[in-house]
Amino acid sequence: MKPARMNKVKAVILDEKMDSVIRNLHESGLVELYDLTSKLENPEWSSLLFQSSPAEYGRNVSSLMIKVGRFLDLFDSVKVEEKKRLSEILNPVIPEKKKVSFSSADEVISYAETTLNDLENEVQGPSNRLNELENKKNNLLLLKKQLSHLVDFELDLKYLGEGPYTYIVSGLIPKENLSELENNLPNITNNYVEIVKGGSFNEDKEEKVPIIIAILKEYMDIVGTELRKSGFERFDISNVEGTPKENLDRIEKELSESEKEINSILDKLNAISKKWYDELLALHEILEIEKERAEAYSYCGKTERIYLLEAWVPKKYANKIKEIIENASEGYAVVEISEPDEPEEKIPVMLDNPKAVKPFEMLTEMYAPPKYNEVDPTMMIVPGFLMFYGIMLTDAVYGFLLTIVGLVLWKRLGKASEGAHNLGYILTLAGIATVIAGLITGSYLGDFLNQFLGFDIFKTPFALVNALGSSWYIGSSNPLFNIGNIAINNGPIAILLFSIVVGIIHLFIGLAVGFKENLKNGFKNAFLDQGIWLFLILALVIGLAVGMPYIIVGAVLLVIILCMIKGYMNGGMMDAILGAMDITGFLGNVLSYARLLALCLATSGLAMAVNIMAKLLGDSVPVVGIILAILMLLMGHTFNFVMNGLGAFIHSLRLHYVEFFGQFYEGGGKKFNPFKAKREYTMQ
Amino acid sequence: MVFENPLLLGAVGAGLAVGIAGLGSGIGAGITGASGAGVVAEDASKFGTAIVFQALPQTQGLYGFLVAILILFVFKTAPEWAMLGAGVATGLAGLSAIGQGIASSAGLGAVAENDEIFGKAMVFSVLPETQAIYGLLVSILLLVGVFKGDGVDTIAALGAGLAVGFAGLSGIGQGITAAGAIGATARDPDAMGKGLVLAVMPETFAIFGLLIAILIMLGIMF
Repeated sequence: MKPARMNKVKAVILDEKMDSVIRNLHESGLVELYDLTSKLENPEWSSLLFQSSPAEYGRNVSSLMIKVGRFLDLFDSVKVEEKKRLSEILNPVIPEKKKVSFSSADEVISYAETTLNDLENEVQGPSNRLNELENKKNNLLLLKKQLSHLVDFELDLKYLGEGPYTYIVSGLIPKENLSELENNLPNITNNYVEIVKGGSFNEDKEEKVPIIIAILKEYMDIVGTELRKSGFERFDISNVEGTPKENLDRIEKELSESEKEINSILDKLNAISKKWYDELLALHEILEIEKERAEAYSYCGKTERIYLLEAWVPKKYANKIKEIIENASEGYAVVEISEPDEPEEKIPVMLDNPKAVKPFEMLTEMYAPPKYNEVDPTMMIVPGFLMFYGIMLTDAVYGFLLTIVGLVLWKRLGKASEGAHNLGYILTLAGIATVIAGLITGSYLGDFLNQFLGFDIFKTPFALVNALGSSWYIGSSNPLFNIGNIAINNGPIAILLFSIVVGIIHLFIGLAVGFKENLKNGFKNAFLDQGIWLFLILALVIGLAVGMPYIIVGAVLLVIILCMIKGYMNGGMMDAILGAMDITGFLGNVLSYARLLALCLATSGLAMAVNIMAKLLGDSVPVVGIILAILMLLMGHTFNFVMNGLGAFIHSLRLHYVEFFGQFYEGGGKKFNPFKAKREYTMQ
Repeated sequence: MVFENPLLLGAVGAGLAVGIAGLGSGIGAGITGASGAGVVAEDASKFGTAIVFQALPQTQGLYGFLVAILILFVFKTAPEWAMLGAGVATGLAGLSAIGQGIASSAGLGAVAENDEIFGKAMVFSVLPETQAIYGLLVSILLLVGVFKGDGVDTIAALGAGLAVGFAGLSGIGQGITAAGAIGATARDPDAMGKGLVLAVMPETFAIFGLLIAILIMLGIMF
């Protein structure tokens, strides 16, 4: 019930064998490398060893990865997004793994280089042409915009610019500056100026006027300064002949031609992408793996000829790792396996549960992984979580639906994602638990059978308890039994009693585990933290069993006094008074389990409300009523299923995190992070 | 019997259940929605997440609606004061949705930054729902006639509803604590355990309310 026991493996390896050792360790994925950096700061160590730097080839690998990334980006940008059908989303196709066998980084690098060269040869032509065309297209678009302002002028555009004697310039000017310009220009050019104006228009909230100005060449500089002052935007039009109107038609034609060519190139690139994409992904993965290996060197210590490597390894794999290192180094290594030589919080934590329980580790880790010497609560979560979930959702049909959802997540989506796999597994089991709970409470889409088919299951012996009233077994005429003057004579009170009893048992288990764990801090601590509550629960059970309430009252008083003593020992009088309130905390924990009843009622109550409304619609609206009723049923039950399915999950989790873990669990360990080659697209 | 027709008090109860719980849910969903709009403006793909978090504070309104339906159509034969008490219990406790809205809004913000925190943010955001569930629990206990006698047949039933209903307002405080705890957990995942302990503190008062409501319904003082 504890996380996997760890060993430390220490190995001294001859430098030329180091590469092979690292490769084999990486493929096995069983160790977490230990960073020697901080140890090497110790003078005693640093006189013997210096820190190793990452392997040389790492830099090459990184630059190749950047190249691969660039090609992937290019392909992503030209990719035509294919619409995925629902069946493909629900059942993702797992890419076929490419078989690779490289025995050194150099092989990988030369393979990557040749592959990238081949690809570059294929891509370069179309990709360069694409750039050219896009540039051309942008230029044409700009020209088109400028000419559209000049379309009113019947001017052959070849005259724009410098002529033998004159200079003609076209552009836009803000309307408010126009009259000033018209006054100034004749002054500074001795009237050798001609200004032609077009119609004004609005651009960027500013009124602008297209103008053409012709001047004598010698005034070029002085006019240029004046124009800049007045906010003139010059059109850069050169090498163009004919009137603006003729040119616009030509541009339109050229645009559509280059558009056509761009599309054909995109198609070509897309075809190349189809051919290469998987290959590139595989290549990226291989390079990523090499990079990790190169970086692994920086964890080690080094002398002239040897490396020192330290790593954490789960005890059960320790001998295997020893063998791997010895084989990989062909005997040029000294390997030593030892017990952890570090304080508890530095030892990595690997949860080690049987396969059937493993997916539930997700729930433990969501709270916090346990400390190295703490109990791993995963095993204890399973029965409680499933039972609470079942009780809170309580409907055979909803449970069936949930099982299907879970199976799809587990078996289909789970192929591609571990999270979906784990969640799917949990939901499948929770769905089965819900079906069982639904059978017990006779809930099939709430009271659907009774509302629409007139079959009241609670008048038959097929349902044990009715969450909203009486049933064949438990009713006002035949109560289960009496506690004091309360008769257990209907469904809700029976479920409430059951919830509280289950809650007390659940807390008892948590307290017992906590007591055992806490014993290492001495019996006194264990008794004051958990023991008194165990005692209180036992007193409660005995008191009820023998029918003597005085035992319970006595126990409660005793517990209050003990809590006050505990508080007094911790921090004086004030804490003692607060200690007396501890009992309400305990009571709160117990009462919190009443939510089992409340959520169970909420599910069947809302299902019933949906049924009632659907029936009202069906009975009162003529003709289309039946359709409305069916819609109401579909939407209402889907909504109820989703809301309460979610609610049941989280509240079930909460009962574990707050009430159950509160008794014994702290968490906060460091997760085992294996040095492992992640292979999604390749295999060895 | 106060009125000729016992359903008259029931109708008032149904109105209070839907009305007050709807008020709470409206404010709560509004708070979450505001931060949802901000998140979606940053990243449109977070729309689904925003909807999930906004759904949380809406459940209280749903409970109110459920109890109203139960009063008006299902448990018509329940004692009249029990019907009123049931409505008051679920209605007032439904104001916890305001707190839940605050917590969900913080949860949504944290998830927008980091998807991995979704589960934890969800757990915190659901905490202030407890009060509403207690309210619903007492309503159902009043309506189905679990308890017999003066505790549910007389105006005492209204007392039970008020106890669990007003104590349910502790959900607002709990929501504020939960929102803070989500922020803390987003920064340091190990803060989850301690954050939960702090965030369930305000629940103590809801439990007091629930306890007193049950004692009243049991008719222990008569």
